Amino acid sequence: MKKALYLFCFAFLIYFFVYPLGHILSQSFVVGGKFSLAIFKSALGNYVVRRSILNSFMLGILVVISTTVTGVPLAFLFARYRFPGKNLLRALFFLPLIASPFVGAIGMMQLLSRFGSINLFLMKAGIIHHPVSWIGSGFLGIFILETLHLYPIMFLNISSSLNNFDISAEEASYNLGGSFATTFRRITFPLLMPGYFAAASIIFIWALTDLGTPLVFEFKDLVSVQIFNSIKDINTNPQGYALVFFVILITLMLFILAKRLIEKRPYASGRTSVNVVEKDLGGRKRLLAYAAVGLLLFLSLLPHMSIILTSISKRWFFTIFPAEYTGEFYRTVFNHRLTRTGIVNSLMLSSVSTLVDVVLGFAIGFFLARTRLKGRQILDLLVMLPLAIPGIVVSFGYFSLFSNTPLDPRNNPMVLLVISYSIRRLPYLVRSTYSSFQQLSESLEEASYSVGASVMTTFRRITFPLVSPGLFAGGVLAFSFSVMEVSSSLILAVRERHYPIAKVIYTVAGRITDGPYVACALGVLGMALVGLSYYASSRLVARKIGEFFKIG
Amino acid sequence: MGILTVKDVSKSFGQAKVLDNVSITVEEDEIFFILGPSGCGKTTLLRIITGFLTPDSGQVYLGERDITGLAPANRNIGMVFQNYALWPHMTVWQNVAYGLEVKKVAEDMIKSKTDRVLEITKLAPFRDKFPPHLSGGQQQRVALARAIIAEPGVLLLDEPLSNLDAKLREEMRSEIKRIQKDTGITMIYVTHDQKEAMSLGDRITVMNEGRIMQTGAPVELYSRPSNRFVASFLGDVNILPGKVAALSGGLAEIETSEGRLKAAAGGSISCGQDVEVAFRPENVLFRRGANSMKCKITGIEYYGETFRADCLTPSGKAIQLKVFAGESRRLAAGSEVEFDVEPQHLILFGEK
Repeated sequence: MKKALYLFCFAFLIYFFVYPLGHILSQSFVVGGKFSLAIFKSALGNYVVRRSILNSFMLGILVVISTTVTGVPLAFLFARYRFPGKNLLRALFFLPLIASPFVGAIGMMQLLSRFGSINLFLMKAGIIHHPVSWIGSGFLGIFILETLHLYPIMFLNISSSLNNFDISAEEASYNLGGSFATTFRRITFPLLMPGYFAAASIIFIWALTDLGTPLVFEFKDLVSVQIFNSIKDINTNPQGYALVFFVILITLMLFILAKRLIEKRPYASGRTSVNVVEKDLGGRKRLLAYAAVGLLLFLSLLPHMSIILTSISKRWFFTIFPAEYTGEFYRTVFNHRLTRTGIVNSLMLSSVSTLVDVVLGFAIGFFLARTRLKGRQILDLLVMLPLAIPGIVVSFGYFSLFSNTPLDPRNNPMVLLVISYSIRRLPYLVRSTYSSFQQLSESLEEASYSVGASVMTTFRRITFPLVSPGLFAGGVLAFSFSVMEVSSSLILAVRERHYPIAKVIYTVAGRITDGPYVACALGVLGMALVGLSYYASSRLVARKIGEFFKIG
Repeated sequence: MGILTVKDVSKSFGQAKVLDNVSITVEEDEIFFILGPSGCGKTTLLRIITGFLTPDSGQVYLGERDITGLAPANRNIGMVFQNYALWPHMTVWQNVAYGLEVKKVAEDMIKSKTDRVLEITKLAPFRDKFPPHLSGGQQQRVALARAIIAEPGVLLLDEPLSNLDAKLREEMRSEIKRIQKDTGITMIYVTHDQKEAMSLGDRITVMNEGRIMQTGAPVELYSRPSNRFVASFLGDVNILPGKVAALSGGLAEIETSEGRLKAAAGGSISCGQDVEVAFRPENVLFRRGANSMKCKITGIEYYGETFRADCLTPSGKAIQLKVFAGESRRLAAGSEVEFDVEPQHLILFGEK
């Protein structure tokens, strides 16, 4: 029974994760049964492909820089200083994470467009006289939204590194006469490096592979959009394979580097106590800190505010704020055929995939934490890799592998959608069960045996109750992430009756009349769901929710 | 046969032999100590008794019954874990009652028994609290209560006081003794703290490197240790190498670097044998006698009721003397003293 489940986990991950990736590799390198670089030559000979790669790279690097500049100082502020309202403010920094950047993009169009609120406001205030083109080609808009969405990841990762950071390491340096700069360069930064690198590489990959935002801004010269477009003629044009291979290559390199950096730090474990010394932040400095934090929060909540405003505005043209408000678009969401289909589909797909995740996540967490089965390390790697391998890669692989089979997404993508949702979220579940198992000292189970309880009773009354909060917390998050899952939904769902919410939002937003309003109303509901699930799962586990965004 | 017998048990982890032919017999109603430095195999022995480990060879008997292959749940052996292992999702009451619940005891029986055990362990006021909200000493009591409620044949305690501070440790020590008296439960207590073992134990077995070094009552182990390890593990001891020069009437004369010494001889000593002569620093008398020795005091440390003097003998051996504060006027760093050790306080070790 145990063995069979173990083998099933392997088979599942190999068939639905390794095999599609392998297929992409073989398709990219094998032409007519022989090894060949022809596909890469022809792809790289194409001007648009070269430009897309360059743009994507630029975008990734710029977003890493901007999230570093915002997230790192913020983490230091919260870890090292004491000021009123700190806990509330810390919680608010989760808000940017609850809106997918592409939904935010739809709302931001209202603010940033040529006669959007920002230009109108600036013109009214007399700062500018002609409307400024904020979105331009769309690149700037994408950059802004990715930054606002992703800097909390940097903040959370550096925060958790700082919380595990023994301040006496710094004090020892000061004690020996090290200056602030020297101490930061020689002590603090090297100790934070693994956490920083892991966060930066995840941010880089997410920015590189986000599909929804550039689609909303209609910016085509990015790797993700090119891959998306290449799927339509996947059987005749091999360009997509070259681009997907490029993404896999970068992802794997960063993943391996990050893993090595983390494994190399001997100080990650065995830490007994950390004395956190928070300094008071007083006077001018405190005002400055509030101003900076306030500005950052305001900026990062702009997309949310614009989505909410759009969803309840009756008309919003040429005015800073909507001229009239209404709730009719929320009615439309539940009455319109397409939006209703999307909601039903997403709820169903997410429920099933969450169920799969909970079962597999618990099993794999158990195998990794509590058994010595052969091949455990490989299973660990297989299950964590989807964290790094972007959704568009896996979906692209499914499309190319399962075309013209019973699983062909063009006929019915439901099974593949469930599987791709599950595989994408499985790492969260495995991680949270694994750490629950690890925190559960085996002597707790032994204590139960020693008073005469059977294996089953011990599992039911001791093991499961102690592990399940982590499991359910992960499950709640996996569910809401799946409901708002963008890239696989956009790629795999081809026919309208199979559309999940994300694709419905995208499709509806393009309609001229009430499209954006309905899309935003649906987006607000999605945001509320994700926000609620964060809250629920943070109540379930005393552990901070930020753990789920910790990489490595 | 005692209430619990371990017979010829050996256990290896890979190359490392952790237990080497270990045998112990625990009698009913006693507190039996397994004492040894960390890494001596005492925890492994404990886990074999509880059934969490299977020995490579040898047997474990509970009374007459061979329980070597029995699952931990079916052994009727209670256990107090070093880290307490309290279930954090259950209240104190639930933690304690669990052992009866899993045995499907009738509900009113569970109620009355749990209440009584909480009474004995002075936990009644905390019955509805969760373990993380208790102090270290209270958690310790819950661990005890949980282990004794099912009235196990034997109760094992794995370094139960090691997580408590010094004062609380003293308190819990007498608490454990009281609970043992009240319940009459047989205890096997594992520790590396010889004070704990000496003050609490009816009998002690000293382990080192996977082997039993000696088993006996505390007084016997301290005053008649059978080897150098036991002697030095239980307290300070001075050791002089020597050779048996003569044997007569239960007295042996030993030729040492500090002169010829007379010691009470055990059975296995023969003439001409290389031996070690040991004596405790507190067993010295400042007088001339049968075993007079001289030494020069190099330093003095004050311990409140006693002084410890570090000395050098004329032949250059470093030894320690311990004297009560009242006798301290004889001692001054740099001075020479003469002392005597009575023959019954000189201990002989045949093997080095």
